[in-house]
Formats: sequence, structure tokens, C-alpha cells
Amino acid sequence: MSNSVHVYDARADHATVTAESPLAYSYQRSGMPAPGEASGEESCAVIGERAFLGHLILRGGAIVLDEALREVLGIGLPGRPNSLNVDAEGQRSVQWLSPDEWLLIVPGDETFGLETRLRAQLGGAHVAIVDVSAGQTLIELTGEAAHEVLMKSTVYDVDPHAFTVGKGVTTLFAKTSVILRRPDESRWELIVRRSFADYVYRWLLDAGEEYGIGVARESRHESQ
Amino acid sequence: MQRYSGFGLVKHALRHHEDWQRQWRNPTPKPRYDVIIVGGGGHGLATAYYLAKEHGITNVAVVEKGWLGGGNTARNTTIVRSNYLWDESAALYEHAMKLWEGLSQDINYNVMFSQRGVLNLGHTLQDMRDIQRRVNANRLNGIDGEVLDAEGVQSLVPIMDCSKRARYPVMGASWQPRAGVARHDAVAWGYARAADALGVDLLQNTEVTGFKIRDGQIQGVHTNRGDIEAKTVGCVTAGNSSVLARMAGFNLPLESHPLQALVSEPLKPVLDTVVMSNHVHGYISQSDKGDLVIGAGIDGYNGYGQRGSYPTVEHTLQAIVEMFPIFSRVRMNRQWGGIVDTCPDACPIISKTKVKGLYFNCGWGTGGFKATPGSGHVFAASLAKGEMHPIAAPFSIDRFHSGALIDEHGAAGVAH
Amino acid sequence: MFHIYCPYCEELREEEEFHPKGQAHIARPEEPDACNDEEWGDYLFFRDNPRGIHHEMWLHAVGCRKFFNITRNTVSYEILETYKMGEQPTITAEHLAREEKTAREEKTDSAQVAEGGQQTVGASDAAVASIKGAQA
Repeated sequence: MSNSVHVYDARADHATVTAESPLAYSYQRSGMPAPGEASGEESCAVIGERAFLGHLILRGGAIVLDEALREVLGIGLPGRPNSLNVDAEGQRSVQWLSPDEWLLIVPGDETFGLETRLRAQLGGAHVAIVDVSAGQTLIELTGEAAHEVLMKSTVYDVDPHAFTVGKGVTTLFAKTSVILRRPDESRWELIVRRSFADYVYRWLLDAGEEYGIGVARESRHESQ
Repeated sequence: MQRYSGFGLVKHALRHHEDWQRQWRNPTPKPRYDVIIVGGGGHGLATAYYLAKEHGITNVAVVEKGWLGGGNTARNTTIVRSNYLWDESAALYEHAMKLWEGLSQDINYNVMFSQRGVLNLGHTLQDMRDIQRRVNANRLNGIDGEVLDAEGVQSLVPIMDCSKRARYPVMGASWQPRAGVARHDAVAWGYARAADALGVDLLQNTEVTGFKIRDGQIQGVHTNRGDIEAKTVGCVTAGNSSVLARMAGFNLPLESHPLQALVSEPLKPVLDTVVMSNHVHGYISQSDKGDLVIGAGIDGYNGYGQRGSYPTVEHTLQAIVEMFPIFSRVRMNRQWGGIVDTCPDACPIISKTKVKGLYFNCGWGTGGFKATPGSGHVFAASLAKGEMHPIAAPFSIDRFHSGALIDEHGAAGVAH
Repeated sequence: MFHIYCPYCEELREEEEFHPKGQAHIARPEEPDACNDEEWGDYLFFRDNPRGIHHEMWLHAVGCRKFFNITRNTVSYEILETYKMGEQPTITAEHLAREEKTAREEKTDSAQVAEGGQQTVGASDAAVASIKGAQA
């Protein structure tokens, strides 16, 4: 069976419009306080957006997808529900979302090449790959009070002893849903839908006020 | 029956209130009645009352497993209105409304029916189109109703946030001035007292454990106080209707869900009407005692536990505070649940069954209290004559096989 | 308030992440066109609605987004088991009624065991068998 899916490079160099992160509007409207700016004390919680990453949803059987992914990317699917595999550089990750669904996140400029190679590797296998990069964004939360900000926001148990490194879940966050994960000791990641990004951002600013929450410098000027 | 009156009150006061009669007797079950009503809530008691009063059938027993009016009658938010969309339901609820208007005089019992009006808010253009459609349908059916804009709503309820900065701004509302609230316990007690005075036996702590059926004809009921015979049995047991239907050997198109309500600490009078919102999903009124009476949607799962989940309470109060920021610091006193029997088309079942002589009046879902007098009135007529009253006829259980549903989901103030 | 074990996520999650979706194990008629009105109406609208043991579908809406089944007591709200779609319950009303009966017979004194007013009817063994037959 031939691979007749037309793969579209959403980040083609000839694009004439400038891409804007889902939070661009929020930075203008709600501001970007520097960490500790409001309180004058050291900040215990820092927000950092990692915009323009490549988000791919993989659906299908675990075995065939696992083999293809190992071949193409060098990391396999996580073996357990609600878990996360990250590559050695910490740049690429794949997360369990459901028994037949995984989220693959890679640097933005790798997305098209990866999808093309994955499809070639999978051949006519019964799978679906969807590039959802434009539909969501990744917000990092760091600092020693990061989990306390999360405790105010989600019903899920985010105690660092219960929510160990390598865990990732889809759960409620305030009045919306997020994918919440912990790639390493110091970082929490929230993957939010584009249309709810502003809401989550403003919620985080509000919930983190007592911890002197602010926005990390590097995320301010990142652009495509 | 000792009649209640202002003069009587003075007379009793002079005698230090020492010779008030009991409101109703506590009779021993007879072996045989003409009609047995299963369920001693508002609807069952009203049925018994109208059987005796309108049809001269006084050899009637009301069989109640707990105490009178202890189920959904005591657990609802007491709203009475008749602004339903479809002709069939509008006829039924308006029939009830007309009876409400003379009820206190009829049963010589102050049911504290207060026609303070009910607002059904619209928060979107589609809400407003639906409201216009419903109010037009109501007026064609002779039911009062008006469409208000946001200013009109604000002038009726000054404490409500009708500004454009609300998350779901109020765009307008339907307004039924004749609608209102009534004192729920008094409705049960008033009907009970009036039925008892006409000779009806009210059998409390009497639980039906089975039906006696021979050759497809009902013969009576088995209870924990012995067997009682009757050729006509009407079941008016709300959330427990499916349980009784199973005893008689059939299923109903019902699911029983918890429906929660809550009341706040008493406040000085701040809200003199009833405000309902489908969109943010909450409704509120202030009782004569001063507490805010608040309700919302059902819990989605089946439950007979007379309690629901906290997230439902939280969402309800969010809706209320959204509409009434002034209530954000009010403390809630009590919270409880009733078991509502919901139908797929959000309309009741008033019907004959496969068993001859066995009738069911159920499926009222979240909207039973407001229909109490009308439901009892048409059900009594159906039981007395052996054929369904014209207003009750469209609510036959057959509609779930014929497809002639009465889809009130869009019309009920808070549908389920 | 429910704390529900999702058989796909393999952990307990908060009730707010889930949506109840009604009675489980209702087999769609194999040939809808061959149904008469009564059979089709029964399939669409008529439900067991038991007071006691109930098998129902839930959706892990904010989570893995899979449907699964719960066996639950509709009076005490106790969750007896959760199991994946396509599986059959190991706990049924009949099963519990048998256990209760055995326990009662083992009692040497003749003291009555309170029934707790609970109806022990859910999807009956016979109904479950017929569903299995339809799926086979």
C-alpha cells in the first residue's frame, strides 16, 4: 500500500507572515512581570513559554509505533500509562495520553522531517499522525514553589513525592484541561490549548502572586 | 375537620392553644379499598384529595413507606410556573397553575402561594430567540409571559449583575408574573388534612413490597403491614418508580438521579422574585424566612442516595455568584438531594400500564412540585373513570414506542 | 464524591475528570430495520434503573478519553469494580445475593439479617449471558 498522505510543512521558509506564540496577546494585555518584580523579594515560581515546538499526536498500535519511533528518533514509547520518555538532550519527548495515543514533542524545525521519516518507516501501518503544533503551546513552571502554584490549580496530586519525575497526565486545571508533566526534578510542563492559553497564563499570574511569580527573560523574545 | 380561620386562631389563643385537633388520623389499614395510592408525597396526596372531592371516591388509602411529604416534596426549591413550550405540557402546567391560584381557599390551608414572578434569563442570542419563541407559544396558549431586555431585568432585580462586563452578560429574560413559589411542606400537609377529612386513610410507615396481580389485573399490594386489596392502584413514587415497576414486572423509561439544592443563612429581604438561568445553570429565590433557596442541575449518574457530589454544588454556587456578586460572602446552611426520575423527553408519564388497573404517575424529573395540584387532579380523574383525562392522555408511556415524544428539553427552565 | 479507578490510566482519579454515560451492556439490535416499534423503543429508552447494584458506562473525559464500565451501588454509592469496555462484570446483583444467602445459612442462630432495603437486581446473569451471545 502506498503512503498517499500529503504531508504539509507548516513551517516552510517561504512563509510571509510572522508566527506569534499563543501567549503573544497575553503578554501585551496582561503584561510580563519579571520574577520577583512585584514583591521585591526573590521569586519562588517562574513561568517560561517554549513556543513553536513541534507537537505530533501519534495514534495506533503501541508495538508498531514503538518500533518506528526507536528507528527514527532513538527513543521508544513509554511503557506505562501516564508516563513520559525524554531523550538524552532533553529536547525530544514522547508521552502516553491514552492506550492508543501518544504526544511527541520535538524542536520546531525538526517536525516536518520527523513526520516524513516516521511515515516512511511506518509504511502502510494502521496509524494516524497529526501535527497539532499550531493548536497548543508549552508553558514551563520552575522554582521551589512551582508545585504549590499547581496545588492551587488542579485536583491532581502534585506533591513531588507522588508526582515523580517522568510522570505526565491529562487533568483539570482551574476550569480547563491541561497536559501536566514533570520531565526533570526542577521543571513542570503544562501543555495548554491555544484558545485557553491566555486563561491559563492569567490564572498562573494570579495563583503565583504570593510566590512572586514572573516570566523568564528568554521566553520573551523567542520567535520563529 | 376543624376549619382554620382568623377567628379560630383568636379563639384558640384564648384557650392557650390547648385543643387544636390533630391534622389527620393515623388509621389501621383496612383489608380492602376502592383505590390505593402508593406514595404519600404532594402528588399522591393531591390525587387522593381530588378522588374524594371531585369523584366521590372516599374509600381510598394512601400508602407511604416513610412520612407524608418526606421525599421530593420536602426537597425541592418550591418554584411554580407554567411557561412550557409545547401545547401538551403547557396545558398540564397551566391546569396546575389555575388550581394553585385557588388552592389555599380550596383546602382551607395556607400553602403560602406567592405569585412573585419568575425570570428565565437569556445570555446569548440563541437564548433570546428561544425565549421569544417560548413566550409567543405561551401567549397563544393563554399563558402570561413577557420578553424583557437587560434593562427590564435590571429594574426587576437591582442586585443582579446585568452589566456587559459579566462573563455571560444578561441579554434579557422571559418573565411570567403569575409564577412564583409556594411552601412545599404546607402543600403536602394541606392536601393530607383535606383528604383525611373526606375519609381517605393515610397509612404512613407502610411500605409496598410487591403487587398482587391475577390474570393481568391488579388485585392489591403487599405491604410490611399486611396485604391490602384494591382493583385500582396508582403509583406516584417519583424517584422510586422504577423499583415499583420492576415489582410489577416491567421497566420504565426512567433514570433516577440525585438533584441537589441548598439554602443559605437567613438574610434581610433582598430578592423578591425567582431568577433562573439555563446558561450559567443556577436558580435562586428568597424564602419568607429569609434564606436563599438555590438549585441547579442533576448529578449525571444514577443514584438513590438523596445526596449528590460536591462539584455540582460548587458549579451551582459559581453560577449564583456570577449572577449575584453581592452573595459571594453569604454562608450556606444546608445542602441536600432528592431523587428525581428523569424521562428521555423531560416530560412526565401519566399512564396506564400493561397491568390492568395499575397506573403510574412519574417521570416528573426536576419539575414535579409546580405541577402538584394539576397532576393530582388529572390523575384522580383518570383513576376514577378508568380512562386517561384529556390533559394526561399525551403523557402516556406508549409515546416511547410510538415516537410521539414531547421534547421539553429546550423549554424547561432548567432541563436535564 | 467519587474517587474512580480508571482501568486504562490504572490509577484513582477525581470525579470531576469523568462523565457518567448511563447503563452499560445495552446491546444494539443487530438488525434495527427488523425491529418493531416496541423492541426499538425498549432499546432506545427503557432502562433497568436499579436501586442497588448497577453497571454503568463512564467516560474519562479529562484524561485518557476512554469509555469504561463501573459496577456501583446506587444507594450507598460504593464502587465495587471498574472494568474495560468489552469486558464483563465479575460482581453482579445475583452474585451478591448468593453470597448473602450463603452467609445467612451459615449463621446458626435464627436472627434475621437486615436486608438494608436494597434491591439486588442489576444486569442479571441471564441478561449478561444473552449479551455475550449477541457479541459472539
